[in-house]
Amino acid sequence: MSLALTPRPLTGRGAGAGRTHDRWWAPWLFLAPALAIVITFILFPFVNTLALSVTDATLLRQGHFIGLDNFTRLAADERFRIAMTNSLLYVVCVVPVMVVAPLVLAALVNGSTRILGFFRTAYYLPVIMSSVVVGLIWTNLLDQRGLVNELLRWLNLVDEPIGFLSDRWLTLFSAMLVTIWSGLGYYMVIYLAAMANIDQDLYDAASMDGAGPIRRFLHVTAPGVRSTSALIGLFSSVAAFRVFGEVYVLTGGTGGLGGQNVTVTMLIQQEGTGLQAETGYAGAISVVMFVVLGLLLAGQLWYQNRGARS
Amino acid sequence: MPSRKRTTLALPAVLALSISACGVAGGSSDDTDARSTVSGEVTGEISFQTWNLKGGYEEYFTGLVDAFEAAHPGTTVKWIDQPAEGYQDKLSADAAAGSLPDVVDVGPEAAFTLAGAGMLLDLSKTDAAAQSDYLPKAWDANHFPSLGGTYAYPWYLNTGPSFFNTAVLEKCGVTGDLPTTYDALFTAGLRMATECKADASMVGRLPAIENFGSYGVPLMDSGGTTFTFNDAKGVELVNHYKELFTAGGLTEATLNELQTGEVDAFKAGQVGWLPGSSYTLKDLKETAPKVAKTVEISPQITNDKPNMYIESLAVNAKSENTATAVAFAKFATDKENQLAFSQKAAIFPSATGALDDEYFTQDDGTDETALRLESAKAVSEAIVYWPAAFSSKSVDHLREQIALAVLGKKDVQEALDEAVEYANGNLNQ
Repeated sequence: MSLALTPRPLTGRGAGAGRTHDRWWAPWLFLAPALAIVITFILFPFVNTLALSVTDATLLRQGHFIGLDNFTRLAADERFRIAMTNSLLYVVCVVPVMVVAPLVLAALVNGSTRILGFFRTAYYLPVIMSSVVVGLIWTNLLDQRGLVNELLRWLNLVDEPIGFLSDRWLTLFSAMLVTIWSGLGYYMVIYLAAMANIDQDLYDAASMDGAGPIRRFLHVTAPGVRSTSALIGLFSSVAAFRVFGEVYVLTGGTGGLGGQNVTVTMLIQQEGTGLQAETGYAGAISVVMFVVLGLLLAGQLWYQNRGARS
Repeated sequence: MPSRKRTTLALPAVLALSISACGVAGGSSDDTDARSTVSGEVTGEISFQTWNLKGGYEEYFTGLVDAFEAAHPGTTVKWIDQPAEGYQDKLSADAAAGSLPDVVDVGPEAAFTLAGAGMLLDLSKTDAAAQSDYLPKAWDANHFPSLGGTYAYPWYLNTGPSFFNTAVLEKCGVTGDLPTTYDALFTAGLRMATECKADASMVGRLPAIENFGSYGVPLMDSGGTTFTFNDAKGVELVNHYKELFTAGGLTEATLNELQTGEVDAFKAGQVGWLPGSSYTLKDLKETAPKVAKTVEISPQITNDKPNMYIESLAVNAKSENTATAVAFAKFATDKENQLAFSQKAAIFPSATGALDDEYFTQDDGTDETALRLESAKAVSEAIVYWPAAFSSKSVDHLREQIALAVLGKKDVQEALDEAVEYANGNLNQ
């Protein structure tokens, strides 16, 4: 009995080599759950989408191979051009704000007093709200007969209500405003974490050199969180290009007046769902979206690496 | 194709759509002939899917199922009710996965698409005699000339008169007789525009395909193979809306509004006219009692016959118990059960002779009865204008094109031509 409980000696070349050889699968065992999820929910749909994009499949009919016809059709599709313009504009306008504004906010609320804690919580609140709730709040505020227009009319600042949710560009900028408002707190928290890692001695040295709060922010804080800024730039680019909820809710699910506010993700949803779904065509839009996002991220990474090298 | 294979193919569709932002998958092919004759015993289990009827009508449906099971020992009906939101998506997912319920509640446009994919039983082949049990126009609503068959048993009908907020109308200078034709409606709308501008307008939504029909526009050719609503009459209708918009009688927000938005605006006292249903008065009394007090009910706005909507029960062509599914669909849509349902819900029966019941002919002096009698009269004259082949994608595209035309960003004729071209393109799917 006692012999059976005695551990086997681990010394000896043969024993060690054998154990390593026998358990080659051990790392795969640990990886298996994650791999299964990645293959099932990411890799397989992705490959399936690639395959679909070169077919004329609909939801109810398996497609036939049609080569690049879907992509040719996309090139001539006015709605796709509008969607791509809107999504790229979203990235161009939202990302710089998302990189800078939360940093400023984080610098303002970076402290341990109770009042700063209150502001941190207040700025973070929109993050925990669902995009639908956020959208509904802003819809009620910005509607032609909503609170903002009523206020402007009451103050005699406008005669006619402003079409925040009906004019093509105003609707898009309203959606950007909502995205920024609801995302600031999230990135602010990331910046706060990064700022906690900046050496306090740097601030002390800057102060001794006579630097005020703005100089300390520009010369100590901002460089200290540079890598975090790059990361936030990446995150917010992807999120901005894939925007859906805000535009969907603000336009009542229609894609705006005459469909002028539709984004790429909304177009995929419109083409790829419902009984008349053209899944092959929607797949082609998805592939283009993937390529554009890939190029966007590659460009950002290249720029970031170039900055780090210099 | 075996259902397991279809499920396998559909799985990536569901996964791709829900999990991956860039994943959209395709469906399955279907080569099976759906036009086989129904035979076999009425026995076994079937599933029966309705659209948002559990809340309020659970007792009726439980009784319906119990009665059928008692009349046909050995049968089990599994009732499934889907919420209103995303019903088409649910149908889509079921259809793609090959798990369409045995008996399913569908509108003609969904039936058209499913029938085109060979998923519904063609009643003109399997049960042509049933035609006499239903109002001819109700039966015809599910007859699709381009597919050459009839694909669902008519169930309940709905139509409705116009609801006018007289307080809003008076405030904006519209007095006298309420409009009953489009010309009168637009004249009153222009008057409101000069008096009230953005505060209130007569119209709360752009015209849909059924409005083109009731305006007198021919929607399709006689063979049901090409849309035709881009003719001079169609252009005339859109030009009325454009004129209204230019005069300030339509807000920009209205150009983007769906039916729910129109109802909300009416309840908020911002819109003078609401094309309602027999359910509208009850809804207004419950959710907008102040507006309900100032509402006057008037015949439906039309230049021709009134418009009507229809829901039907289709039978899955791949049902394992087709005979039971057909028997249940006919049982649920027979005169007795349709009458019973119409007395529980604000709908109208499609079974032959059911509208002659005293419930739809005798006035007891209440508002609700007056509305029911008015609507029942309209049902007997009404037409299902919405062509089954006009898909929901075409509905959205038409609204977008009209909005651009009304805004002046596109020529009206050009916008309608594009809407017709798009709808025709969808016919071939």
